[in-house]
Amino acid sequence: MADPRPCVILGGGVAAYGAAEALRAAGYDGPVTLVSAEPVVPYDRPALSKAFLQGQKTAEEILLKPPEHYQRLGIELRLGQLATAVDLDRRELVLEPGERLPFAVLLIATGAEPVRLRLPGFDVPGVRYLRSLADAQALREDLSRAERVLVVGCGFIGAEVAASARTLGKQVTVVDPLPVPLAGPLGEEVGGILAEVHRRHGVELRLGQKVAELRGHRSVEEAVLESGERIACDLVVVGVGVRPAVALFQGSGLQIENGILVDEHCATGVPGVYAAGDVANWWHPAIGRRLRVEHFDNAAQQGAAAARAIAGNPQPYAPVPYFWSDQYDLNLQYAGYPGPWDQVVLRGDKAAPSVTAFYLRQGVVEAVVTINRPRELRPGRRLVEARARVDPAVLADPSTDLRALTQPARQAE
Amino acid sequence: MATPEGYVAVKRYDEIPEGGIVPFEVDDDERILVKLEGNVYALSGICTHEYAELAEGDLEDHVIYCPLHGSGFDLETGRVTALPATQPLPVYDVQIVDGVVYVSREPRQG
Repeated sequence: MADPRPCVILGGGVAAYGAAEALRAAGYDGPVTLVSAEPVVPYDRPALSKAFLQGQKTAEEILLKPPEHYQRLGIELRLGQLATAVDLDRRELVLEPGERLPFAVLLIATGAEPVRLRLPGFDVPGVRYLRSLADAQALREDLSRAERVLVVGCGFIGAEVAASARTLGKQVTVVDPLPVPLAGPLGEEVGGILAEVHRRHGVELRLGQKVAELRGHRSVEEAVLESGERIACDLVVVGVGVRPAVALFQGSGLQIENGILVDEHCATGVPGVYAAGDVANWWHPAIGRRLRVEHFDNAAQQGAAAARAIAGNPQPYAPVPYFWSDQYDLNLQYAGYPGPWDQVVLRGDKAAPSVTAFYLRQGVVEAVVTINRPRELRPGRRLVEARARVDPAVLADPSTDLRALTQPARQAE
Repeated sequence: MATPEGYVAVKRYDEIPEGGIVPFEVDDDERILVKLEGNVYALSGICTHEYAELAEGDLEDHVIYCPLHGSGFDLETGRVTALPATQPLPVYDVQIVDGVVYVSREPRQG
């Protein structure tokens, strides 16, 4: 039976893509419109900092599906259209320059926006952020002419951009306020392994340091650190984190707290309004706390979960979050819940590196990270999913077959 | 026993361990055989997202997962079950004759 309720998906990232696919797969046959501020259909955003930046893939090659695919699904695309206001009572969006777009069901998949640095000199040309395809195109263009690149922030985006720039033969300096990069999400031991990989590839690391200002006439020429050190550079890439893109919904009646609050079915407190992806702060029923995850896999899956709820088949969304990061020829994968943890157990060879790290809290495996040991990722993930308690000595022993642990692992209380 | 037309002999059925993923090549094309619950499946050996050898991947619930980025493909149909891949994995027909696994040269259509 035809569902007459028009559904609007607001956003053009992978959460929107996951929702579009899953709405139709779940049998929703009402009108669906995808509204995105970006002028392209959803694409493989993780490729921007890696294969796309390094020139191995074109913009067309990173599209998740070609535009015709949405036509086949019967989904209307409204690309390059900015939503400027929303009225949840009247159930309409206002699109630039003033068109009103009614909806019965709204899925908010607006993602996140890079945090902008408001320091002296950061408004000169030659300072780039990386979030959208347009950002990546501009950065790739700048990178082709640059010789000395300064990366501000050694999170995943910063580290990947640094690796791509080195791979392209640029001189690269990375500045990060933490003494060990990525110590927040990965801990100091694993962060230290990554720092060493970057050093070995010739990246200059300035850790425990902050940029005070940028200087340059027509474009950036040097950075001055708080320590007083001056670093010559002709391109600056800032990767200091993102914030959920909620501006449109301030005062709309939705609960906003580190993203848009939704329940385990991706539903907000307003009937018919859902959120998924980087923008959604959801209740994770398996671990009994709220999570907001800024990674591709979550966006894809949560978009699909929201779609199933919209189609009348809600299932609790309780994934083990997953992401990867490729830097040089290093492959890192993470499956698990964000910290805190009280113990990190490593196995393998830190120098190679070929390492699997387990993050435990009160004896329960909360997360697993593999560096160049992909075969241990999914068995490790199964331990996380099972809320397993495993003797740290057994985990640390490289002769332990993780697959064999998966079945008999005892459940956490 | 003659090889079925359009097929190539790959391996003896008994030589493939249960739950095993065995790489092989047909005309320089990398493929894999998977044995699960006694059934044998033949699929392309390279992920459709980025270059990665699925022989190094993992099996869970009739899905093969790419070792690098977690793309999932249904063993039976090659359908994508987990992104980042969005293109299905080519699958090949399998015949077992006199204990030998034969795989079609051409992928199964649609």
